Amino acid sequence: MPFVEVRNLVQRYHGSDFNAVDDISFDIRKGEVFSLLGPNGAGKTTTISILNTLLSPTGGSATIDGFDVQKNQMEVRRTIGVVPQDLALYEELSGEENLRFWGEMQGIPAGTLKKEIREKLALMELEDRARDRVKTYSGGMKRRLNLAVGLLGNPKLILLDEPTVAIYPQSRRYILDWVKKINARGTTILYTTHYMEEAQELSHRIGIMDHGKLIAIGTLEELTQLVGETETVKLKLIQELDRENLIARIRAFPEVSQVTARQDEIILNVGSATEILPAVLASASELGIGIRTIDLQEPNLEAVFLQLTGRALRD
Amino acid sequence: MRKLIVMAFKEIMVTFRDVGALMSMILSPLLLTLAIGAAFGNGGSATLSDIPVLVLDRDQGRFSEELRSVLDKQQEEELLAIEYVSEEAAARERVEADEVAALIIIPQNMSDTIVPIAPLVEEQLGMDILGMSQEDIASLTTEEQIQLGRISQQTLEEKPDPAVVEIFASPDYQISASVIKGIVQSVLERINMTMAGMNIIIEDLIQQQTDSGSDVSIDLVNPFSAESGEQGNNTVEDLPISIQVISPSGRSFSWLDYSAASMAILFLMFGVTSGGRTLLAEKRLGTLPRLLVSPTKSLVILIGKMAGIVLTGILQVGILWGATSLIGAYWGPAGVVVVAIVALVIAATGIGALISAWSKSPGQAGAIGAAFTLIGAAASGSFLPRGNLPQWLQTISFITPNAWGIEIFARLQSGGTLQEIWPLLAGLGILTLVYYLIAAFGFRRDFQ
Repeated sequence: MPFVEVRNLVQRYHGSDFNAVDDISFDIRKGEVFSLLGPNGAGKTTTISILNTLLSPTGGSATIDGFDVQKNQMEVRRTIGVVPQDLALYEELSGEENLRFWGEMQGIPAGTLKKEIREKLALMELEDRARDRVKTYSGGMKRRLNLAVGLLGNPKLILLDEPTVAIYPQSRRYILDWVKKINARGTTILYTTHYMEEAQELSHRIGIMDHGKLIAIGTLEELTQLVGETETVKLKLIQELDRENLIARIRAFPEVSQVTARQDEIILNVGSATEILPAVLASASELGIGIRTIDLQEPNLEAVFLQLTGRALRD
Repeated sequence: MRKLIVMAFKEIMVTFRDVGALMSMILSPLLLTLAIGAAFGNGGSATLSDIPVLVLDRDQGRFSEELRSVLDKQQEEELLAIEYVSEEAAARERVEADEVAALIIIPQNMSDTIVPIAPLVEEQLGMDILGMSQEDIASLTTEEQIQLGRISQQTLEEKPDPAVVEIFASPDYQISASVIKGIVQSVLERINMTMAGMNIIIEDLIQQQTDSGSDVSIDLVNPFSAESGEQGNNTVEDLPISIQVISPSGRSFSWLDYSAASMAILFLMFGVTSGGRTLLAEKRLGTLPRLLVSPTKSLVILIGKMAGIVLTGILQVGILWGATSLIGAYWGPAGVVVVAIVALVIAATGIGALISAWSKSPGQAGAIGAAFTLIGAAASGSFLPRGNLPQWLQTISFITPNAWGIEIFARLQSGGTLQEIWPLLAGLGILTLVYYLIAAFGFRRDFQ
């Protein structure tokens, strides 16, 4: 039996004329890292909000460890740990006081909580600043404390909603390593992101979402097979002038399966990059368009998303 | 229960660690109270007219007549609306019922106490000395003048008990009572100056008699003539007469007392509306959603949060009560003050919750809260005694906790007891219930 089971989940917000989550179904197995990958507005956070019982779905069902997210809310809440996208901490309290408060709210007995707080502070390397008010912490330290709160009570499932948004690369690296470490202890993780690299690095399986729909699901290998033997070529232009003419010419080449453009970048999926590139460069030259860089990529999630939606992941 | 206590305790910690909040909650009202207390002391002033006053004249003497003439003059100038009465008990009842601002009781022996020589001269010499002109006195025989001098010396040596002009004032007309006291005091000042001049003449007469035994001219002027007043420079405290302003319960109005309570209520309102706003702030910051996905019932979160705001408010007003008491403000009997503070804070928190429940953002709640607090404070009498506000405004202001709080503390400060304020507490309780019901209806959006 899957640890998380989502069936035909639908969420439509009051007054909206479209579904934020549109009939999605997926499972998460015990002990795996499952990522929901998609651009902003794809429905990832709404899905997490239904699973953590904050929202009641308009339709469908979801269970966590056998508990229905609507009917058994308290049991679900005792099973999960939540790390929200934004920091959810009290800045006037110290790190230790925050952990104590959230631990109490989690219902952890006082004796166990004391030990847990010490453990979590050590795990997040915050022992030295434990008694300082959170408002004096750096952004990275706050992120680590935010994660520590999600770990209180050693939940079986941790829901991480875009935990690396707007942070420095060093802190991002720390969080990714931390996710691996926690997962290695046997904790099941649902991770949402719009960074393809994070999903590729962390996930046992990935669900790709767009416009509220789950458009693909599988392991990285399974997903990349969807785009076949194609390669992705990224051309960075010196100037955007005449870009549309160049795109029209590229689309005319039979070897090109998909073309998309974003500002000064043209991305194309091709059977063999080495065969098509001379013709593409010649066309650019004829139109007087300079090429700054050419980037060749093996099949990846970006290409999958492009293949499935016709848009780049960051559009 | 434990989670509820943890929630409440967290709320208090977060609030009391915020220096800005502490300044607003504690320091500002304390400084304002000090400033108002220093500016007005135990008196006060305001633009007033037709102050309803009862006068009971038991003296019917020369000096009470003078006092009455001054009061009548103030009536002509529409400052006072005088009614002379003869029944003391009935008059006191009218003050207690707040029908009139005050009852002035002129004691029976006032004129004799002020000029004790007059009755003695009348008794021993058969003369009305106060009715005599300068010429009349000059024409007295030497023997009569010597006797007059002796009587004067005798009365100067005997210090009679002071007569007390009582101003029995309603606590609902604090400023009016101060105005009435001022008028009476000014009359007594004039009498005092006159008497000082008379004393100088009599002393001079005695001295001359002692030195030469020859005829002397006594310049016993009309006590109320302007020139005689200029001779003395004593104050009313030197007169054998005093003014006592008392309320039905025996305590007089004090601006310090009044402003200590009213400022505390005003800043309590700021505090709790700001506290209620923290619900929206927590929603925006993400701590509320995080709380809502913890295994804690929504109702426990809401009650815990409100309990924290209530406790913070109680601490705030408690600290202000203690601090202002140290500088001399009186709030009422301690036990009843505690009951009143708790009831008031719960009500005020209700209005904070109501505003938060129906606002869309912390900014909107803050603006509505500040507007409600300031308008409510002005309409309830935080800046001016309630009794001086128009009746319709006093009535409307009962939709705010400020009005109930000011009424309750004004009564306690003038000597009221729990029995006397329980109808007010009951009224406040009903209003509190209404606040929380409307708030609960609004909170369903966030906590369902």
